[in-house]
Amino acid sequence: MRSIDLHAHLTPQCFIRAMREGREWHGVKPGEMGIGPRNSWTPEQRIDDMNSLGVDVHVVSTFSFYYYYERDPQVILPMHRECNDEVYQMTVDYPDRFKGMAIIPMQDVNLAIQELDRCVNTMGFVGAMIDDHVNGKTYDDPEFLPLWQAAEEMGAVMLVHQQGGQTLVRDRNPNYHLHNTIGNLVDRAVTFASFVFGGVMDACPDLRVCLCHGGGYTCFGAGRMDRGWQVRPEARVNISSPPSSYLNKFYYDCLTHSEPALRMLIDTVGIDKVIFGTDWPADMAIDWPVSWILGLESLTQEEKEAILYKNLENLLGI
Amino acid sequence: MRSIDIHAHVTPQSYIKAMKEGQVWHGVSPGPLDIEPQLEWTPEQRIKDMDSLGVDVQVASTGAQFYYYGGDAQVIAAMHRECNDEVHQMTIDHPDRFKGLAQIPMQNVDLAIAELDRCVNQLGMAGAMIDDKVNGKTFDEPEFLPLWKAAEQMGAVFLIHQGGGTLVAPRTRSYHLPNTIGNLVDRAVTFASFVMGGVMDACPDLKICLAHGGGYACYGVGRMDRSWDVGRLPQIPQPPSAYLSRFYYDCLTHSESALRMLIDMAGIDKVVFGTDWPFDMQIDWPVAWVLSLESLTQDEKEAILWKNMEKLLGMSGE
Repeated sequence: MRSIDLHAHLTPQCFIRAMREGREWHGVKPGEMGIGPRNSWTPEQRIDDMNSLGVDVHVVSTFSFYYYYERDPQVILPMHRECNDEVYQMTVDYPDRFKGMAIIPMQDVNLAIQELDRCVNTMGFVGAMIDDHVNGKTYDDPEFLPLWQAAEEMGAVMLVHQQGGQTLVRDRNPNYHLHNTIGNLVDRAVTFASFVFGGVMDACPDLRVCLCHGGGYTCFGAGRMDRGWQVRPEARVNISSPPSSYLNKFYYDCLTHSEPALRMLIDTVGIDKVIFGTDWPADMAIDWPVSWILGLESLTQEEKEAILYKNLENLLGI
Repeated sequence: MRSIDIHAHVTPQSYIKAMKEGQVWHGVSPGPLDIEPQLEWTPEQRIKDMDSLGVDVQVASTGAQFYYYGGDAQVIAAMHRECNDEVHQMTIDHPDRFKGLAQIPMQNVDLAIAELDRCVNQLGMAGAMIDDKVNGKTFDEPEFLPLWKAAEQMGAVFLIHQGGGTLVAPRTRSYHLPNTIGNLVDRAVTFASFVMGGVMDACPDLKICLAHGGGYACYGVGRMDRSWDVGRLPQIPQPPSAYLSRFYYDCLTHSESALRMLIDMAGIDKVVFGTDWPFDMQIDWPVAWVLSLESLTQDEKEAILWKNMEKLLGMSGE
């Protein structure tokens, strides 16, 4: 049994070194960002942990704290290049254990395309991880269309993942970790809706988008989006089919923290669209993710294998 | 077969009359009355429509646009009394067809308790409909606890229903998403605020019905549980999912699979019939829809359509 984890993060060693040496790093001042013990593990320590969890491959993404979309793109592009180079080195040193997922400066679409191209076509990355919005702009904004078209052409996967903490829920209730436990999931539903209602999935039929955290509330909430599409002209400006008909155009990781939710996701989007993803090494990760999948009584053995590795092998052509 | 609809709105005739006559109504300035024709229907016209839909009883609530929690409490208390008196009159004129849910001025908890007491104990109403928030405050705020205690004592039901300005609006106002995603995430945050704020522990007999099927509460509870697992919710003795069955939910999911999941997670005795009459986002033929659902047993359909509501409202034996 293999397992390939699409949702596994990296705190770059280059950043950790700079902080420990008291050096500013691409505009980030020492002490500006904390580092947990697991986040500072070396690739070798990471592999030890993967072995203990039964995870064969991490598709490694630099953590979302490093998006920095609000900062000067000329400063952040070199930051992202350094992060991506470090991930690349992991894939060179351990080609059987690591694949790469880029971080790209979304505040400048041209630079984002350029870095995506470098990572995918020169360094063999799978695609890029991006936020649910860029300085308040959602992905139906026409300025992003060249990126989607470029990604489609490259066969790159866009893994959508919120910037930690800054979700829609924080302004309502900042307590109880809700910005994460509800916020991540609603942000993902809005991103699904932005891609679909904005016409991006029609304009880019081969675009590969994977929605983290099981796509959030997308599959459960599609019925009400369909009703909105039926009765509201503004919901039909760009699309001629109901939003639920686009559910199977996306990929979703299995990070639902709920067996009935995962079962509903599979039943709604199709088993070929659900991919293993764990959120390693965050505390909101699945504790023993391979064991969790294998222990689910409502999934068949074939479904478990599809999620753990077969779908991702198909998606990545490995 | 009976059917009792807990989610059915009234646009007060007193408001319509004032607008048409160019009069200020409790601080609301007259302007062109731009509302859908069915919002102006008299109780008798409403009953004809209920007959066509197969709905026996509406628990009528003055529409959410009349919350006016941002207004002066004394002014709005008078507005709400007039609204409630009108709903009361409907229940007097047609006692077999209408029950009442009050509007209460949540910006002043003492006044809200006084009006709830009047409506429940003098006018025989079932409870009150309230927003998900009051001027930015959620219901875990200690200032609301006296209201929950008073409602618990009265046996009053709170129907939770957004009043515009959902969490999605700051991200996007397109495609009707502030409603189609916003209503559902607002309800999940309200579930979380009641549970994680300790209100459900402090008020074990409090009756809360979350409109729109409780939004994303049931689907998303696994991730809330995870945050309890990792020690981020030390203030509650059980994981959030243990509280799902403490709430009531209307059946307004616009999705059979979502409704099935809601029943399976909250319990069939917690799901009540609610349609959002007379708005465009309502269920078109709600009784027929529930009756047609192949994944529900006949017992479950009857529980939803009327049996649970009869128990909740103490109407058994009528």
